[in-house]
Amino acid sequence: MSSAETNAAARIRVRGLAKRYGAFEVFRDVAFDVGQREVVTIVGASGCGKTTLLRCLDGLLPADGGEIWIDAQRLAAPIAGVAMVFQHFGLFPWKTVYDNVAYGLRMAGASREEIGRRVPHFIALVGLAGFEQAYPYQMSGGMQQRCGLARALAIDPAVLLMDEPFAAVDAQTREILQFELLRIWEGKPTSMIFVTHSIEEAVLMGDRVFVLKGRPSRVAETIAIDLPRPRTRATLRLPRFAELRERVWSTLMSEARQAEFQLSGG
Amino acid sequence: MRESSGSAAAYHLGRHLPFALSLAGGLALWELVGRESSPAFLVPFSTTMERLWELLVGGTLVAETLDSAGLFATGFLLSVVVGIAAGLVLARVQVLRVALEPYIMILYATPMVALIPFILSLMGFGFIPKVLVVFLFGVFPVLYNTVEGARSIKPEMLEVARSFRSGERALWRDVMLPYTLPFAMTGIRLAIGRCLVGMVAAEFFLSSNGLGQLIMSASQNFDTGGLFAAITVICLIGVGLMRLGFALESRFAHWRK
Repeated sequence: MSSAETNAAARIRVRGLAKRYGAFEVFRDVAFDVGQREVVTIVGASGCGKTTLLRCLDGLLPADGGEIWIDAQRLAAPIAGVAMVFQHFGLFPWKTVYDNVAYGLRMAGASREEIGRRVPHFIALVGLAGFEQAYPYQMSGGMQQRCGLARALAIDPAVLLMDEPFAAVDAQTREILQFELLRIWEGKPTSMIFVTHSIEEAVLMGDRVFVLKGRPSRVAETIAIDLPRPRTRATLRLPRFAELRERVWSTLMSEARQAEFQLSGG
Repeated sequence: MRESSGSAAAYHLGRHLPFALSLAGGLALWELVGRESSPAFLVPFSTTMERLWELLVGGTLVAETLDSAGLFATGFLLSVVVGIAAGLVLARVQVLRVALEPYIMILYATPMVALIPFILSLMGFGFIPKVLVVFLFGVFPVLYNTVEGARSIKPEMLEVARSFRSGERALWRDVMLPYTLPFAMTGIRLAIGRCLVGMVAAEFFLSSNGLGQLIMSASQNFDTGGLFAAITVICLIGVGLMRLGFALESRFAHWRK
C-alpha cells in the first residue's frame, strides 16, 4: 500500500491546533492528516505535549485554537468510534476483566446480545481467555494493558489513540505486547495515533513518525517509515530499521542536547 | 485424603486453641472471683447464666431485646441511608461541603451522650427521640467516610469514563458508587459500634424498656445476676454485629489492595 493511497481519504484532519495552560503555550500550529489505515507515532522530549495532544484528539481536553476533524465530524467532546488506551491502563479495579472489556460497549449502548458476543471475542484476541473473572489487582501490568486494549478494540473504533501504552510494563513484556498489537492491527487496520518515548517503538509501529519539538512545540519533522508490513521480529534486524531509528534519534537529540546544556534562567 | 483433613484439623486446633483456652480461663476467673465477692457487686458466671436462663424463659429478655433491636435497626439504617446520600451530595457540591464542614467536624468530635439531656428536654421520652440519639451516634462516621472516599477518586478514572462517553447516571452507577462503597463500608462498620452505644445510652435516659432499661432496673433492684445477664447479651450482640461489619467491609472492598 503506497502512502498516497493510505492518505487518499484522511480519517483524522488536524488544522492549526493550539493548546496553552495559562501563559504556558504547550503547542501551536499543529497540523496533520492521518489516513484510514495509517499508524502515526509521535515522539518528543518529556513535557513537549505529546500526551496533551492525544487528549485533545480524544476530546478530553478542549483545544485553544484550531480544529480536529474525524471523518465528517468536528471534534468538541469525546465521540463514538474513537478509543483510547491509557498509560495507566485505566481499568476499574472493582470490575472483572469481562466487565472492564464490556464497559465501553455498555457506554456505547450496545445490546446485551452484542456484548455477550463481542466481549469474549476480544478477550480471546488479546490472549486473556480464561481470565474473564479475574480482577485487575490479580494481574500483571502486561495483562492489565491487554485488558485495556481489549476494552478499546471492543467498541470497533475507527481511530485508536495509544498514550504510551507500554511505558508502564517491563521491557520483555513491552516487546511481547508490541508484536501482539502489530498482529492485531494487521488483522484489522485502523487509524492509530501512538505516542511513545521509545524511538525503537515509534519506528517499529509507525507508517510515519512525527517529531514534536520547540517551545511551544509543533510537528517539526515527519519521517516516513518505509518498512514492509507485516512487521515482525525480523523487521528489527533490517538495515533500513537501524537507519530510520538513527534518523529519528538524531532529529530528536539535536534538540535534547541543546536543552540539556542550556543554563536555567539564561 | 485422611492425612490432609487431619492436618487441617490440627491447623484449626493450633489457631483456635489459644483463643478457646483464654476464654475458658477468663470465665473460670469470673466464676472464682464472683464466688468470693459480695453479690451486691459481682455474681459468678454460673449465677449469671442461671439468671439469663430465667429471663429468657420468662420472656422478659426476648421482649426487651426485640425492643432494643427495633430501636437499633431504625436508627442505624437511617444513619446509613442519610450518611451515604448526604455524603455523596457533599462530595459533589463543593459550596455545600465547605459551608457545612465545620458543623460536621464539630458534631463528629462531640460525644453524643452530651446531647441526650438536650434531646430529652426538647422531645421528651418516646421512640422518636431515642431513634434520633442512635441516628446521631451513627450518621457522622458514615457521612465523613463517604465524603472522603468519594473525593479521593482518581481523576484518571473519571477521564476513562469520559473517554468512553459515559453519561452522568452511568458515571454514578459504574464509577462513583462502586468506588465510594468500600469507604462508606468503613464508616458503616464504625457506625455499628457507635449505634450500639447510642442504643444503650438512649435507653438509659429516654426509655422505660429495652436492654438499657433492663440494666438500669436490675442495678436499682440489686439484681446483680440480671445486670450481668443483660450486659452479656449486649456483649454478644456487639461482637456479632462487629463481625458482620467486617464481613460487609471486606465483601465490598476486596479490590482495594
